[in-house]
Amino acid sequence: MTKAFTIAAVGVLRLFRDRSNIFFVFVLPLALVFLIGSVFGGGFTPTIGVSAPDGELAREVVSRLEETDGIGVRSYTARDELVRAVERGDVQAGVILPVDFDEALEGDGTVAVEFLARPDAAGPQLRTAVAAAIAEESALVRAARFGERRGLTEAFDVARRLQGEVSGVEVVTRAVGEALFPSSLGRFDLGASQQLVLFMFLTGLAGASALIETRQLGVIRRMMSTPTGVGTILLGEVLGRYGVVLVQGVYIVAFSLFAFGVDWGDPLGAVAILVVFGAVSTAFAVLMGATFRNAQQAGGLGVILGLGVAALGGSMVPLEIFSPTMRRVAHLTPHAWAYDAFAELVRRDGSLSDILGELGVLAAYALVAGTLAVWRLRVVTTWE
Amino acid sequence: MVGDPIVEVTGLRKRFGDVEAVRGIDFRVEVGETYGLLGPNGAGKTTTISIVAGLLRRDAGEVKVAGMPMDIDTAAPRALIGLVPQELAVYPDLTGRENLRFFGKLYGLSGASLRRRVEEVLEVIGLRDRADDRVDEYSGGMKRRLNIGIGLLHEPKLLILDEPTVGVDPQSRNAILESVEALSASGRGVLYTTHYMEEAERLCDRVGIIDEGRLVAEGTRRELIRLVGERDRVRLQGSGNLSGAADALGRLDGVGDVVAADRSLEVVTVDAARLLPELLAVATEAGMAVTQVEVSQPDLESVFLHLTGKALRD
Ligand SMILES: Nc1ncnc2c1ncn2[C@@H]1O[C@H](COP(=O)(O)OP(=O)(O)O)[C@@H](O)[C@H]1O
Ligand SMILES: [Mg+2]
Repeated sequence: MTKAFTIAAVGVLRLFRDRSNIFFVFVLPLALVFLIGSVFGGGFTPTIGVSAPDGELAREVVSRLEETDGIGVRSYTARDELVRAVERGDVQAGVILPVDFDEALEGDGTVAVEFLARPDAAGPQLRTAVAAAIAEESALVRAARFGERRGLTEAFDVARRLQGEVSGVEVVTRAVGEALFPSSLGRFDLGASQQLVLFMFLTGLAGASALIETRQLGVIRRMMSTPTGVGTILLGEVLGRYGVVLVQGVYIVAFSLFAFGVDWGDPLGAVAILVVFGAVSTAFAVLMGATFRNAQQAGGLGVILGLGVAALGGSMVPLEIFSPTMRRVAHLTPHAWAYDAFAELVRRDGSLSDILGELGVLAAYALVAGTLAVWRLRVVTTWE
Repeated sequence: MVGDPIVEVTGLRKRFGDVEAVRGIDFRVEVGETYGLLGPNGAGKTTTISIVAGLLRRDAGEVKVAGMPMDIDTAAPRALIGLVPQELAVYPDLTGRENLRFFGKLYGLSGASLRRRVEEVLEVIGLRDRADDRVDEYSGGMKRRLNIGIGLLHEPKLLILDEPTVGVDPQSRNAILESVEALSASGRGVLYTTHYMEEAERLCDRVGIIDEGRLVAEGTRRELIRLVGERDRVRLQGSGNLSGAADALGRLDGVGDVVAADRSLEVVTVDAARLLPELLAVATEAGMAVTQVEVSQPDLESVFLHLTGKALRD
């Protein structure tokens, strides 16, 4: 067993010796997480569509919204038009102030403000911004009303107290359109798990050519001339590939967590996916490494296969965008199951117990490919 | 046990598809002996030692290492063997020291003894200065020396070297031969394959001549040469009574034909080294003034030619 780790350690050490490997394994994945996060997640200002009556208080609310940082405001005259705009995604949310907004606020009655949001966008944040603007406005109004009776100083105190909890105004949220991603999804979160899966698999397959090279170097044969069992040697080679994949996986998760604040969900669940998906990548790598004779060929094929399977499995384009048929096809790839597992953890706040199904499928992949791989490897190493 | 062979091979056979690579080979290597397998490319040398080292399944026959049966899945005898494969089997992207440490661990060394052996081997193979350079920066000869060094780490009772000098510059080659001589002097058994006749002659106590999967002859160099009836030739040049000297020499034990030519005699003898003083004395006594002596001994090349009808190398 110690010898298996000795062999595995050399596999990992050799990876670090190659500068281009360091780039592909450690630099590129994070660069892509960052790039994709910046392009698709950031640098984008949500716009709120507002349909407001022609009253003074309503106009005040609109201008308060306009003053809010990070939000754009677009006015709509017709309510229907605004609803359609939210549905189409022209604006990320809509606020409809009732025609009697001013009167209701000045009176003692309750006023209902309608809030429309696509559940995928930064809905709740926008809702908070809207609620804050209205609360401020109504609080001032109420305070002023109060002040008419009690005097100014006291009125300001009350106003401040009221800013958080305004009674009388109820913001009613309605979901419009189909939810794609929850609002809590950070700008890097989606890209990160996709890149993680893509690169772990790609790095795994790159291990195939390392394995072929080791075979061709005659080093495996030489190991067999030492008092080291064939099983130990094979285990060592497999662990070496696995070690490389795991090192990369843990690194991507840890670095993206601390540097970009990527949310990986339940840590136990995330670790479980890393461990099992790493095993899948390793199994496929060893299978390839034991099947092909030419390291360059295997390397080239590995890249094509690694990227192709990743694209099919939702690591480039989110699975949610796939047609139902394509989604079924996608689930032939281990990537799609890992994607689903991360989606459960990150977007739906799932825990380890919620992804047991996905983990089971991945484990089955690892088991089947791994068994084939070890059998092939045994054949080629003892007969060459 | 004294006198127990370190390797004993009997009736070894191995076939690759249609190719009968080894067709019934028997030999033994005694403790402390250097045994050479001499034969051309494709003779079956690598196949034979791969089976001896337990790397290849055999079709028939028996292999014993220090009395233990050796098989593809037996581990114990492997600790006694240091195999130096024909092809370089080292990690080019690791340093020499890292390679040695890695294989040392697989041979079961660890801690202080591993460190000590790595340093000792680096010294023996003359790579101390370059120990921490990557192997792919080494010259061909340095790589070969490292390849050999790995086989020495665990101080094996039997060192198996498969054509260790192929593709090596003359200087490195000499260094390799010298270290093999030193190793066999240290009481280790050495099984050495080569297609260079000079190497077999220089290094090996006994030589097995292998061709097309068979051992066609075996013995010490002298035995082999005698086996094929080849004789040493001694050419005496000089003046004086050449015909008298020829008659006198011809009557000596161990001397065959004596051919007289103008100003020289050619004497065919079984053992020139032993008889030379006597030859000179007899010729001088018979009235010949010997001015120059030339001894030509037949080599394993001519033995091989005689036995197989072909040259070792083409
Ligand atoms: N793995 C193999 N598959 C098929 N033929 C082989 C294999 N290894 C060796 N041979 C054949 O067996 C014969 C002996 O080869 P080998 O033992 O390598 O000879 P040598 O080492 O004396 O040059 C050759 O004809 C060679 O082509
Ligand atoms: Mg050979």
